[in-house]
Amino acid sequence: MLIKRSEARAGKQRLAAAYQGLSSGGLDRRAFLKQAGVTGVGLAALGAIPLTTVRPAQAGPMNHAQPVTRVKNICTHCSVGCTVTAEVQNGVWVGQEPTWESPINRGTHCAKGAAVRELVHGDRRLKYPMKLVGGQWQRMSWDQALDEIADKLMAVRQASGPDSTFWLGSAKFSNEGAYLYRKFAAFMGTNSVDHQARICHSTTVAGVANTWGYGAMTNSYNDIRNSKTIMIMGGNPAEAHPVSLQHVLAGKEINRANMIVIDPRFTRTAAHATEYVRIRPGTDIPIIWGILWHIFENGWEDKEFIRQRVYGMDDVRAEVAKWNPAEVERVTGVPGAQLRSVAEKFATQKPSTLIWCMGATQKTVGTANVRAFSILLLATGNVGGDGNGANIFRGHCNVQGATDLGLDVTSLPLYYGLAEGAWKHWSRVWEVSYESLLARFDSKAMMEAPGIPTTRYFDAVTLPKDQVQQRDNTKAMVVFGHGGNTVTRMPDAVKGLEKLDLLVVADPHPTTFAVLANRRDNTYLLPICTQFECDGSRTASNRSIQWGYQVVKPIFESKTDYEVMYRLAGALDKAAEKRNMPVRFQAEMFKNIEVRGQEPVAESILREINRGGWSTGYTGQSPERLKLHMQHQDKFDLVTLRAKADAPAEIANDFYGLPWPCWGTPEMRHPGTHILYNTNLPVKDGGGTFRARFGLERNGVSLLADGSYSKDSQIQDGYPEFTVAVLKRLGWFDDLTAAEKASLERHFGANIDSASWSTDLSGGIQRVAIAHGCIPFGNGKARANAWNLPDPVPVHREPIYTPRTDLIAQYPTLPDRRAFRLPHLGQSVQNRAKDLAPNFPIILTSGRLVEYEGGGEETRSNKWLAELQQDMFVEINPRDAAARNIRDGAWVLVNGPEMPQGKATRMKALVTERVGPGVAWMPFHFAGWFMQEDQRSKYPQGTDPIVLGESVNAVTTYGYDPVTFMQETKVTLCQIRAA
Amino acid sequence: MARMKFLLDAERCIECNACVTACKNEHEVPWGINRRRVVTINDGKPGERSISMACMHCTDAPCAAVCPVSCFYTTADAVVLHDKDLCIGCGYCFYACPFGAPQYPRVGNFGSRGKMDKCTYCAGGPQADNIEAEYVQYGSNRLAEGKLPLCAEMCSTKALLAGDGQVIAQIYRERVQKRGYGSGAWGWRTAYRETVAI
Amino acid sequence: MRALVLALVLIVAAPVAGHAQTNPQVSGTPTNPTSMLPPVADELEVIKALQGGRVAGRITIPDQQAANLIQPQGRSWRDFHNVTLAWVGGVAVLGMLGILVLFRLSKGRVPIEGGASGRTIQRFNGLERANHWMVASTFIILALSGLNLTFGRHILLPLVGPEAFTAISQWGKYAHNFLAFPFTLGLVLMLLLWVKDNIPNGRDVKWLAQGGGLIGNAHPDSERFNAGQKGIFWITILGGAAVAVTGYMLVFPFFFTDIAGMQLSHIIHSIVSVLMIAVMLAHIYIGSVGMEGASAAMTTGQVDLNWAKQHHNLWVERELAKGRAAEPPASAKPAGAD
Repeated sequence: MLIKRSEARAGKQRLAAAYQGLSSGGLDRRAFLKQAGVTGVGLAALGAIPLTTVRPAQAGPMNHAQPVTRVKNICTHCSVGCTVTAEVQNGVWVGQEPTWESPINRGTHCAKGAAVRELVHGDRRLKYPMKLVGGQWQRMSWDQALDEIADKLMAVRQASGPDSTFWLGSAKFSNEGAYLYRKFAAFMGTNSVDHQARICHSTTVAGVANTWGYGAMTNSYNDIRNSKTIMIMGGNPAEAHPVSLQHVLAGKEINRANMIVIDPRFTRTAAHATEYVRIRPGTDIPIIWGILWHIFENGWEDKEFIRQRVYGMDDVRAEVAKWNPAEVERVTGVPGAQLRSVAEKFATQKPSTLIWCMGATQKTVGTANVRAFSILLLATGNVGGDGNGANIFRGHCNVQGATDLGLDVTSLPLYYGLAEGAWKHWSRVWEVSYESLLARFDSKAMMEAPGIPTTRYFDAVTLPKDQVQQRDNTKAMVVFGHGGNTVTRMPDAVKGLEKLDLLVVADPHPTTFAVLANRRDNTYLLPICTQFECDGSRTASNRSIQWGYQVVKPIFESKTDYEVMYRLAGALDKAAEKRNMPVRFQAEMFKNIEVRGQEPVAESILREINRGGWSTGYTGQSPERLKLHMQHQDKFDLVTLRAKADAPAEIANDFYGLPWPCWGTPEMRHPGTHILYNTNLPVKDGGGTFRARFGLERNGVSLLADGSYSKDSQIQDGYPEFTVAVLKRLGWFDDLTAAEKASLERHFGANIDSASWSTDLSGGIQRVAIAHGCIPFGNGKARANAWNLPDPVPVHREPIYTPRTDLIAQYPTLPDRRAFRLPHLGQSVQNRAKDLAPNFPIILTSGRLVEYEGGGEETRSNKWLAELQQDMFVEINPRDAAARNIRDGAWVLVNGPEMPQGKATRMKALVTERVGPGVAWMPFHFAGWFMQEDQRSKYPQGTDPIVLGESVNAVTTYGYDPVTFMQETKVTLCQIRAA
Repeated sequence: MARMKFLLDAERCIECNACVTACKNEHEVPWGINRRRVVTINDGKPGERSISMACMHCTDAPCAAVCPVSCFYTTADAVVLHDKDLCIGCGYCFYACPFGAPQYPRVGNFGSRGKMDKCTYCAGGPQADNIEAEYVQYGSNRLAEGKLPLCAEMCSTKALLAGDGQVIAQIYRERVQKRGYGSGAWGWRTAYRETVAI
Repeated sequence: MRALVLALVLIVAAPVAGHAQTNPQVSGTPTNPTSMLPPVADELEVIKALQGGRVAGRITIPDQQAANLIQPQGRSWRDFHNVTLAWVGGVAVLGMLGILVLFRLSKGRVPIEGGASGRTIQRFNGLERANHWMVASTFIILALSGLNLTFGRHILLPLVGPEAFTAISQWGKYAHNFLAFPFTLGLVLMLLLWVKDNIPNGRDVKWLAQGGGLIGNAHPDSERFNAGQKGIFWITILGGAAVAVTGYMLVFPFFFTDIAGMQLSHIIHSIVSVLMIAVMLAHIYIGSVGMEGASAAMTTGQVDLNWAKQHHNLWVERELAKGRAAEPPASAKPAGAD
């Protein structure tokens, strides 16, 4: 008999409470169940709610005499998209097996993926709806919870307008859930709907989309196997995307590729690099310009590529000229010779790929960083081919899909934006009138104004009303699948949370939102099941879409996202009726979506997405095609992701997961696009060009490609995006079928000429363009100069809190401004920070641990993972530790310049040379301690995560990217002392 | 019969701990028992390498040699297993083991050890294959189902290899020849008194 | 369509050109470790193996023992346990038994010269005897259960079979762990009770020189305890202390020390133990069947006056001088009564 060993002297007292429920470990799950049952009965007696609705989690050894069903789903942690094979017996998930046939993970997992089965045992899951009554958690029924929430939401909407509700969605939604949530916000009448991409890759999306068309990873994890130079900057995939390292290391080994890691921290990834460059945090642009300086100096740039496909590179040359090796070294600390070697490898040993992550994006200059990275790729001709490209590793399992589907305060689903044309497009897809949508908003202006982003929700609550550009402050917040410790400036967030009239947390776990603030009422917890208990598709970082099948039915009383949204819509109808408000939700929203019982059907939601997702090529991925891919995973090539010769006809020639854009209707059988902007393939085969997104010319210079075009294109030069007018001019209009023409006429009538590839619901325009070898979005140039951005050519700007106050005068942050309905006071704060810097001599940066994910509530509740990281810690260089008398493993106090006076966070010191002198690093997954207050007792009983700790965001400070309001998490200042 | 071994390619291991949680998952190993673990040497310095380590199923296993109650046995696949019904939890195998593989649940007061637990190479215990009693004491028996240890099967970078010693040595040898570097088969000298000749 | 362009905030800022200050002080300035690479893992393994050292690193779980990757010392410990200890233990225990047999055969039982007087004198009081027996009994169980761990699998296991042997060994382990506490307590009491009579002095040298009267036929002077007994006392106290300290290290695994310390503890514990067992065999022999009149000291506490005079003449003189006349046994008739 395996019996619990309570190792960990240090952790013993703290973890004592956490151990309860773990007692005797996994093997006597039944004992746990007994325990859970007892608690349940106790509560049931109190609340007089029968337990029959609670579906207990159970597990046990597999019975080898009984049949086992194998179900495939996708890992719910990072964006690599590893297939999980679950073995199910009698409705219980009893085992996990490697999925050898998946071309993405080939059977493998990281710590999180190999532990996902625990999520569906759910020792620490939220088991039924609860609310705070006078500071105490009380169990309630779903109907009652939804009715109360709906009534309070409608009260806020009535008194303060729809923009006073804030809808925080999740990168853990399926595509269908994300889409539904965005649609929900639209029907509520607000654009304040956001999700983790804001704090993850929003700057990537903005920066890359503004460079060449789409804001996504251009190639794939698998394609890195083709690279000869792999440069990873501001990313630690060994911990954040471990399975991606399978492909990176394969490239490194097979091609003997250079693997260059540029990072302030010597990460687990850096340990495998052929070259490691340590930089001062916040100096990415000087590094890139420093590399480009050598490239231009030596003529290593790809001149023909630049001539044909890039606009404005000369403006970059002018900026780069300032960054000679001496200046680069002065600002970044990196010697010129090292950068010269990096530059030579990157520019001459091609194909080269640049991989980045949040080290680049979570900065006050995030968008500019990403732009500089893209420009480096353009200058060396490293976009649009095998083994090159911008391999942007996204964070959560479906952050790509959730971004695509519009959980974004600046856009409707699939990047249509918020302008009138976008609303009209979606009103056609939804088959509701544009006017009826308009009526749901406070005004047309608010309908087209970006909403409040998640990084600033609490400012929208607490700032004086006149500083928030909407009718009233934010009053109600609905959070689906999102941690409360993910946003910087937590002491300010607490104030915002406490002032909210309504807080609803819908999640498998209570999350930090439930305990962070001292709320006593009007706080609801709704148990949502994980994606393993739910059908739906999710988009991996490489744009491949994979279908996940429900492994087991939702455990306890948890429900799927779909069902909760559907029922909440119904409850809102009731509340509106009661309040004599004309607005209605359920019938209109779910007009074309099949609902089984109370649950909308995932396949049906995906078909609605297919009907509207023209702009991004989300139209060809019907549920049937996606399911075929899951069924025949073994038929796809490991490197090209293309279906192999022996693949059945229905998937022949497809790329795995139909990576978007997958043009036209499913019937058109476009294979998806493995590598974006790849001119070596015909469009119908997955090829393409840079998107003609920014107009035809700028100051007399053409923005269309010059002599470059995708293979087999009938237009052998640049061309604009396709509209009916363009088709007519080319004489291709009559290639449209009668049905396609009829559809265009029905929707556009007299304005038919303005109908475009992205708004034509018949798909005819796309079909015709592709039939002629042309890409529907036009053949344009990528922009080295993006004139619509605050810095059209990226320039270095010191972080708000920089230790190099001497550089602020020369490289200041942008002047104060307004955006997203809120003030943005970067320069004011930087000027104040200058005086504080001497008291906070250590740069604080943050990042990810392999065992945990995001805010960490889910993974810290997973006993197999929690055991591996039991303490919040700060990495500190031996030199700084020695100066402070700090021993490895000792407790330290850390405080930041914006923390309340006299407060500090308490964590363990990890004395290591991973960080350089003057730099400290913290993982960002911890919560549950807040400035030395242990909040374990504030969780509903039995739902507290096993491991709690201080959040890095209690220390982090003000600082936002001007374009997306991305928060600065990577460079701030702190002081550390022995506790 | 095959001579089963583990081989860890330190050039591939990234300390992702998949092997650790895969093991926990497959056998429901309780908190505090670490049949497999990952250790990082030269942490934070160039030359840093992470090594996943568990019972190596040694040739002439030291644990078996020192066990006062002779509870160890070696299977036809050369997997070193033990009988928990005979183990008295004396701790001697831990002193002798070069790899720190034996684990002891803490029972009773003052840390007295319960019956030893360690990696079974996913080969269960002395009972009949894949019966519940075997699972409860030792975890699942993948070998009996024709599968290999889950830690190696799920290794994110395929750094951890499991299988017949000659086969995995050949895989490793080809890898090293292809890429031109390798840091040796970790622990082989100690466990098997041999190393992989490149 | 303009509507398709991502709705972004289009604010153009004029970068403020500033003048550069020259402040070379950089916090967080990187140092680029490009050269001076430490040896890679394989070399490290070789080096450590050659040096006999452990290969250790960093691990995230709290069990710091797990941070040891490879400890080749396990092999040395195995050699110690299987070879050295077996030989030392075997030779010590069997050797001592052999010596005692030879002694018995050559000298027979050591008699009371002149026979028992019938008059007794109190040698040990109740507390002393109780404590002695607490130490003695626990020692015997500790010794047997300890010997079982080293020799049981070769001797007992084939006789009783694995299940029974495990049951015996399991109970032996529990007994060993728990009886360690009364044993240690007894040692402490023993020290307090008897230390003043066990301080070595010049007479002990003489006593030893004369073979303690056991070898040869001299009658060396002796206080309450002769040099031989003092030796037993100090072996018990010091050996017991060593065994106790190392034993507690073993019973609280890794609480005080690491794997090397655990191995060393075991080595000291086992070697000292088998030597003590050998010594105690002699003590048991001489205190029981080996010497006429000796066992009474630890049973009734009353020893025959003649025995006392023979072996502890100085002590008897002192006791008598204190006026504590030797008492006849309660059953004995008063002198001259007949």
